[in-house]
Amino acid sequence: MISTIYIEEEIASHPRTLAILERFPETTKIMCERYGEIFNRKSQNFRLQKKQPALILARKHKSLVLPTPIQYGIGAEHNYYFSHMLNCLYDCRYCFLQGMFQSAHYILFVNYEDFIEDMNSTLNKHNNEPVHFFSGYDCDSLALDPVTDFTNEFLPFFERNPQALLELRTKSTQIRSLLKREPIKNCVIAFSFTPDKIAQALEHKAPDVNKRLQAILDLQEAGWQVGLRFDPLIYTKGFANEYSELFDRIFTKINPELTHSVSLGTFRLPKDYFRKLEKLYPDEKLFASPLTEENNSISYPVEIRDDMLGFCKDIITKHIPSEKFFPCY
Amino acid sequence: MIHIFCALPCEAQPIIQNFKLTELKQFDLFRIYQSKDKEIDLTITGIGKLNAASAVSYHHASLNTKASDIWLNIGVAGHADISIGEARLVNKITEEQTKSCWYPQIIFKAPCDSIALITLDKPSDDYQDALFDMEASGFYQMAIRLGTAELIHSLKIISDNAEQATSTVNADSVKKMMAKHVITIKNILDSLKPITLEIDSIISEPKEYKEFLERWHFTQSERVQLSRLLQQWNLRLPNDEITKHVIENTTGKSVLNVLREKINASEFVIHD
Ligand code: SF4
Repeated sequence: MISTIYIEEEIASHPRTLAILERFPETTKIMCERYGEIFNRKSQNFRLQKKQPALILARKHKSLVLPTPIQYGIGAEHNYYFSHMLNCLYDCRYCFLQGMFQSAHYILFVNYEDFIEDMNSTLNKHNNEPVHFFSGYDCDSLALDPVTDFTNEFLPFFERNPQALLELRTKSTQIRSLLKREPIKNCVIAFSFTPDKIAQALEHKAPDVNKRLQAILDLQEAGWQVGLRFDPLIYTKGFANEYSELFDRIFTKINPELTHSVSLGTFRLPKDYFRKLEKLYPDEKLFASPLTEENNSISYPVEIRDDMLGFCKDIITKHIPSEKFFPCY
Repeated sequence: MIHIFCALPCEAQPIIQNFKLTELKQFDLFRIYQSKDKEIDLTITGIGKLNAASAVSYHHASLNTKASDIWLNIGVAGHADISIGEARLVNKITEEQTKSCWYPQIIFKAPCDSIALITLDKPSDDYQDALFDMEASGFYQMAIRLGTAELIHSLKIISDNAEQATSTVNADSVKKMMAKHVITIKNILDSLKPITLEIDSIISEPKEYKEFLERWHFTQSERVQLSRLLQQWNLRLPNDEITKHVIENTTGKSVLNVLREKINASEFVIHD
């Protein structure tokens, strides 16, 4: 799967680097000074690299834990996100990472200890008030978990700090390490969904809807809390049928007690990212959707947006109490 | 198109012969050779990174290269302990003098291993665990301004190592080594060609674009809109012949309006 690993000199002898390299004895290893020498260079093509992404092992020096955009949240006043990885194993056509980064290589920041220290100071700053930490903003939280050991390394911090909550945003079924642990109340594994046909058309390489749903059932069975993320909602003729079928399938199976939150938001992208994606994938139908430009952002026109959000909200709030529902407009 | 750069005539000769390239006499600053179908060309750069950079630049100006072209620097190099005659692709180029680095992106199944390379200003027998050459950094830093990192590569054949130093290398031995690796070069080109085609498909304008520009006048910003609308039309109304809807229009602006209205009025289904 991974045939090349770039390694920053600074973390070449970090225990996590050594452990990962041991897993890939056959790969080509290339030393570099800073990951930006590879990752941020112009004159490379995200779409082409996505065919064979390399892994870059690096140190994150600053901005390890950052405040989320204002509308982002599932019930707490203090919300932060962090990215131990950049880029994703999957290839969703609507993913903003394709617009944000020059390169499709996966970066893994191996200095987890610095992330945890930063989370600790963030908690201290808020004097024991609840703080939510979101993972999976710049990557899929679990897709590479067997390689990164992310959950095993981060969850003990949350076990020790019940006032902190961790959201692991994912489409992955890599839940083995979670199932091996005792569940904790302050971790939400949040799965994102689109209806089958839309997922098939747009969420390349990601596990299908049934597999994700099965992962939810397995996690709930083991006592973990899950979240449902219908974001982005994708417009197509007949979206109402497709989404109501999806909601039906999910809500009739999951355990509402262990469903922490449901959020939804329609497809939207910053204009610059959208234009880049449109150029990378000129044959992609998603970018020929009925869309409009507003405040440097590309999204569906307000009538479509309202229609989709209203429709979905009506169904979702029949299944879960409104305090668990978080629309993200 | 494929652009090959060799420092020395003896490195180039087996390639010229194999691909049946003939010299383009109109260019006199560097010797440039080309195949009959104009798909492959080769420039002899002379020794050193500055010559290599100038040759790439001259080649580009002379032959009008495209963003989807393949750029290959091929030549001999030294290494501490890799056997003489073996081939290596380069995965990192360090310019000894400036310490600048570049990382060619090998996204295909390569016919040989890849390794780091250091570009020196002078020949050296002080071998390391990296290839030594004198051109790759000059070649790469100029080529990367013209193409994309996935299509710009350096292939080196080991000519000397700690056991057999440069003094044993001569034009004849180089020719023989290069001739043996024509097959390696062909393998690399076969892997790179589909990538070129993919880039071509990404950057090409919709099929009706040229015809529309000939028929109507569009300002620069209208051309961008036209390209986008034609693309959307082909995705949303693939079976609806476009020209009949706009033929009566007299201005580019009104053509754009018609396209926009028709597209907006069409139903949108994202999947088949
Ligand atoms: S799973 Fe998430 S991060 Fe990965 S490609 Fe899809 S949208 Fe992007």
